[in-house]
Amino acid sequence: MTCPPASLLPLFAQTTSGSNGALITFLVYTAAVFVIAWYSNRLQQKKESFLSEYFLGSRSLGTWAFALTFAATSASGGTFTGFPSLVYAHGWSVALWISSYLVVPICGLGLLAKRINQVARIGGSITVPDVFRDRFQSARFGLLATLLIVFFMTFNLVAQFKAGAEILRTLLQDVGIFQWARAELARFDATQLHLFAARDIEPGYVICLLAFAAAVIVYTTYGGFHAVVWTDVMQGLVMVMGVLIMLPLALYQVGGLESATREMAKMTPPRVIDARLSLETASDSAYPIPTGTWLTLPPQEGSELPRLLRVSRQRTIPAGQTSVDNVPLLELTTPSEIERQLSRLAVPVEELNGPLTVEVTRTLDYRYGKDQPGVYVTGPGPQAPNRSLSPEEQPASSGFLPLSLAISFFFMWAISGAGQPSNMVRQMAFNSTTTLRRSIFTVAIYFSLIYFPIVLIFCCARVLLPGMDEESDRIMPEMAVFLTSAVNQPWLAGVLIAAPFAAVMSTVDSFLLMISSAIVRDFYQRNINPEVSESRIKLMSYAVTFVVGAGAMFAAVSPPRFLQDIIVYTGSGLASCFLIPMVVTLYWPRVTLAGAMAGMLGGFLSHLSLYVIGYVHYSEFRALKPLGIDPIIWGLATSLLLTLAVTPLTPQPPRKLIERYFMKQAPRKASVTT
Amino acid sequence: MNSGSPAPGAATEYDPVFLNSRREAIVTLAIWALSLAWVVPYCYFTGYVQDGNEFKPEQLQTVLGMPSWAFWGIAVPWVVANIVTAWFAFVYMADDDLGEVHEGLDIEEEIAEISAHDRKA
Repeated sequence: MTCPPASLLPLFAQTTSGSNGALITFLVYTAAVFVIAWYSNRLQQKKESFLSEYFLGSRSLGTWAFALTFAATSASGGTFTGFPSLVYAHGWSVALWISSYLVVPICGLGLLAKRINQVARIGGSITVPDVFRDRFQSARFGLLATLLIVFFMTFNLVAQFKAGAEILRTLLQDVGIFQWARAELARFDATQLHLFAARDIEPGYVICLLAFAAAVIVYTTYGGFHAVVWTDVMQGLVMVMGVLIMLPLALYQVGGLESATREMAKMTPPRVIDARLSLETASDSAYPIPTGTWLTLPPQEGSELPRLLRVSRQRTIPAGQTSVDNVPLLELTTPSEIERQLSRLAVPVEELNGPLTVEVTRTLDYRYGKDQPGVYVTGPGPQAPNRSLSPEEQPASSGFLPLSLAISFFFMWAISGAGQPSNMVRQMAFNSTTTLRRSIFTVAIYFSLIYFPIVLIFCCARVLLPGMDEESDRIMPEMAVFLTSAVNQPWLAGVLIAAPFAAVMSTVDSFLLMISSAIVRDFYQRNINPEVSESRIKLMSYAVTFVVGAGAMFAAVSPPRFLQDIIVYTGSGLASCFLIPMVVTLYWPRVTLAGAMAGMLGGFLSHLSLYVIGYVHYSEFRALKPLGIDPIIWGLATSLLLTLAVTPLTPQPPRKLIERYFMKQAPRKASVTT
Repeated sequence: MNSGSPAPGAATEYDPVFLNSRREAIVTLAIWALSLAWVVPYCYFTGYVQDGNEFKPEQLQTVLGMPSWAFWGIAVPWVVANIVTAWFAFVYMADDDLGEVHEGLDIEEEIAEISAHDRKA
């Protein structure tokens, strides 16, 4: 990065140390991943098979690389944004939601890894569609798998780019140089481009998207699989370090876990309020009311405590006007929480509102948990109302995580994770069973150090940072800044808030490479031009990775609606399509091409149809859940039943294939040996 | 299409890596099922407020600062799962030879063979 002009230097000086930490973290990160990409590219030059090295790292991964790339790819941006947000919003019941991670390592690596690695070696497979194509000697099956991967992962890639840009924007929002660049881009757009404002696109988001995408696309394109794996290792270490630093700081600040849990036991959910905020006289300039502003109202009847409310989204009283309507506020309802927050604010209650007058215009109660102490330490957890609906329109809720969903999630995390092609391809890349055995245990320890401690940290956050229920996606960076400032080490915030950034980066690079391998290897080389030269395939691999990344970035500038729902759809859709076909491919000699393809198509169509019916029924991107069970389970059940039904109706598979993949035989002469 | 019966002189013994992997996969599923049987029912019956029961904050039982249902229903199974995982990885799982890589065969020939197979099918 070039030095800023002198006029910008005060902007650097004005930023807090924590914010500068975020900027420095991002720059150090970018530099580190480029070094890794450069080193990986040098490795490629030394290998005999470019494709095997670029897309599979020549099957040479050792324990640390394999364990951490598996763990880091599994832990997407959601682990450090959505998951902490859920803990904050629903309390201890989220521990049950995530609990199946206790068996994710053994399920994710014990079900398929050894056998898929062996089968990929027998067939010389480099990608997941390769495995199906070689095992059944069917180009059609390979093509079907390729199309499904490209279909699902393209959507997911756009969504992950958006998540990466949003996280970066959160990290950089207080950095002076970033604020300056955002303002400049907005000005340029208003006078020249006319692109962003007209489409309601925030210029800061565009800057972050470009920075994030440029870093990921360049290092993934240039470095290939090895760059992805080694950046995953680095990112995996950053994630665990972030959690392990935050945990003792959080426990210290809250006065121990016992204290946090006891406080949470007394808590009742906040009230959701719309208010009119007024000034006595109109101001000459706009009067901003930032997110996080605390306001107060006189005590309610029978109470001595003043009412305490927090602004959930910034609003501005325009110049020349005296009020602004529909300001979203959250009102704390637990007396001990109000007392604690008032003492923290260190401003007399009567001075809290400043020149503002607060007039409540609408109150919404929680759909589950209203006035119920204990709802944050027992199940089901509280459920917030939908602000866009009137009180009468709020749908009934049985709280966060009813029993049927608890079972669904126990199934989803542990079993469907094994069905993700991005995990499968990693399982084809380790070098020996010894590596696999050590990795299973390493991942188990790694997940234990990440997931359960996050529950503890963000239960503490509920006590330490009240009133953030409506912006709980930002709880991770807020908590990082709070904890490090409290111990007077604000520079640490940059390291801590790098964790979510690392998580989303390690997911994006894997998806990017999956899509380009599907296009170059599975589609082009195997269906269009088998005679393609090594140098051409090399050029194509670089070009396709770059073009796919750039395409996803442009799509993410103005992402489609329902993006978060699409992430859920693609994750469960991939498992519905791939898990059962892969299990029977590896473990059932009798399965036929027709049976396995029926399973893949059946999983895809049944899962898709529940979403289509849900869309028609609810008029939004929402799946129908018969018997309260998630579509992934219906998809997997359909896939299994169709495979079991179609296989016996079709002739036995060729004996030659069974012998090749299932029978003991003398080792074949290999042309490439690792 | 070829029949499933073995040709004269063909291998008739299953590959030990296949057999070991399948056995290990079945044990993995059993471990998942046992953990489900412990975690979800325990948390549901001890950690969920059932209809008609009122929660009183002072009655909350904790162990090491966690609600006791989360300690016995999630934290303890998590530790046990790690011990079982260590046993599975270091004791139970066979240290199999995964074989050599057969990549780099003439891809054109291989594709021609697969296409012919598809047409036949």
